[in-house]
Amino acid sequence: MMRFLLRRLCLLPLVVLGVTFLLFFLTQRLSPEMRASLYVKDPRQMGALEEVIRQYGLRDNVFRQYGRWLKNVAHGDLGYSPSANMPVAQALKKYLPATIQLAFVTMVLVVFFGVWFGAASAVHKDKWQDNVARLVSVGGFSLPIFVLGLLLLMVFYGKLHWFSPGGYSIQTDIIIHGAGFKTYTGFLLVDSLLNGQWRVFGDVLNHLVLPALTLCIGSFALMVRVMRSSMLEELGKDYVRTARAKGLTEYQVIYKHAGKNAIIPVITLAGIQFIRLLGGTVIVETIFDYPGIGRFGVLAAQQLDIAGILGFSLLVAVLFVVGNLLCDLLYTAADPRIRLE
Amino acid sequence: MQEPVLQVEDLHVTFHTDLGTTPAVRGLSYALPKGKILAVVGESGSGKTVQALAILNLLPSTAQVTGGKILYQGKNLLALKNAQLRRIRGKKIAMIFQDPGASLNPVLTIGEQLCETLHAHEKISKPTARKRAAELLSQVGIQDAEKRLDEYPFQFSGGMCQRVMIAMALALHPDVLIADEPTTALDVTVQAQILKLMKDLQRQNGMSVIFITHNLAVAAQVADEVLVLYAGQCMEHAPAAELFKQPFHPYTQGLLNSLASVHKKVEKLPAIAGNPPRPGEVLPGCPFAPRCAHAQARCFEQCPPLYTNSFRRTRCFLQEGK
Repeated sequence: MMRFLLRRLCLLPLVVLGVTFLLFFLTQRLSPEMRASLYVKDPRQMGALEEVIRQYGLRDNVFRQYGRWLKNVAHGDLGYSPSANMPVAQALKKYLPATIQLAFVTMVLVVFFGVWFGAASAVHKDKWQDNVARLVSVGGFSLPIFVLGLLLLMVFYGKLHWFSPGGYSIQTDIIIHGAGFKTYTGFLLVDSLLNGQWRVFGDVLNHLVLPALTLCIGSFALMVRVMRSSMLEELGKDYVRTARAKGLTEYQVIYKHAGKNAIIPVITLAGIQFIRLLGGTVIVETIFDYPGIGRFGVLAAQQLDIAGILGFSLLVAVLFVVGNLLCDLLYTAADPRIRLE
Repeated sequence: MQEPVLQVEDLHVTFHTDLGTTPAVRGLSYALPKGKILAVVGESGSGKTVQALAILNLLPSTAQVTGGKILYQGKNLLALKNAQLRRIRGKKIAMIFQDPGASLNPVLTIGEQLCETLHAHEKISKPTARKRAAELLSQVGIQDAEKRLDEYPFQFSGGMCQRVMIAMALALHPDVLIADEPTTALDVTVQAQILKLMKDLQRQNGMSVIFITHNLAVAAQVADEVLVLYAGQCMEHAPAAELFKQPFHPYTQGLLNSLASVHKKVEKLPAIAGNPPRPGEVLPGCPFAPRCAHAQARCFEQCPPLYTNSFRRTRCFLQEGK
């Protein structure tokens, strides 16, 4: 177990180095002038361009530049992000909780409804429950996220005014940046409750619903499919017959016996999807103008904010490796036959 | 003769598949005497497992009982509602299966699976159930029972798993145990141990056993009575000693001839020529006629009835008038 953990953690620097070097190398295709120009805001100071290039050594060999960046990262300095107007590390710290919050709410919805629909679909194979679940999952697969996101915005925001897009309301901003609001976890959903701010909680939730629903649909479709086929397979196995022969109720047979086995592949899938959501909410965060790291990454990319892009990629790579590790650990908890060597 | 514990009357089971309907059991009747072991013998596809699954309504969804009765304590099991049948399953009539490894749930501990059976039928506390479970495990010859309750099936060998299955089946002292090829997946030495264990426990509890096997040698070791199934029909049903001494039906004779013996030296074991009817194929006459050395013209036209002769029943025209 310990050896497994160590081995997997050794992988972390490799993945991170690989991803960041690749991106770093690509950014070198831009001329030093272009990279420097972002830091010079005033057109009248274009003469300062050369000074910036010299100061930051932008004409140096790519390996030297990368080495310098790595050294700074090791000291916790990810550079300054002009697009977010703050140091990259601070920006990531500010935006990550919102994304985790969004991904988490999405996954709770996906796992709960996905497992439920998938199991019902398998138990009532070829009946109406199965057909509904299959229809929903095919629909979910074939609906592009940006189309669904825009549709939801049009209907629930534009027509019905049920939910609001964009940043939090002004009152919320005033409260959360006010002196009386204590930050406990960085997750507004939790912090607002801990501060007893129901209005803030409501506002945050209100902003979460549409993006979470949009993100849900694709993952949900996949979850239903996997749970259905896994459940069908388990229901056909010998131990299910044994469970029936013992005189257990149908509920026990299906949920305790077959369900416990059928959920194993779902756990892996849920883990992978959660990790993917953390780095992949880019489109949804952009559509809903949701203040998470996805939107930060997009803004950085649009403005060629190289420090921002590298910081974003670094974070996503770390999340990916650590998330996968957690996934494997979860797997061993669900299936006693798996021992990590 | 004693009152039978379980009676199967004119049972018909049919499979519905995309290829059409296939009768698997055709008009099977037998009575299971109290405290005896009845071996149901037949080759693959003869319907021996299907008829057993029908008793507890454990048939796969593609199969359906199309006729007959299964009587237990004056009740027709086939007419019971699920909730009523559930009270009989595991408590009055228990079942063990062919592949012990696959018959246990891989993600639940042995203790959980044993206790669950107890909780399903009795109101007992968790510690009591656990204590009973440990006793049951030691009863079937598993050492360190208390400790092994927390282990998972994959930590047990095949023979051990079958012992657990037996412990589970006997937990509530059922009247009837249905054992569906319980030793087929085990190697020969383990097979002998399991057979001995089953026989000992059967004598202690005085229960009746339906022992399903394709192996006549195994049947000879355990059975009081033997019922030979062929293509879903009973061919011969007789007390074990008499059947093995003098089989009446040509099919049974063929089966016994093809057994290896340490006393006879032969170059090649004789086999019954031909193949059993394909699934779904129903012959107008005796299903065994195409392979039978004694077949007459009428065997192909008309299926012989079961001729009863003292305690023996035989489906063969050769027994007519005897």
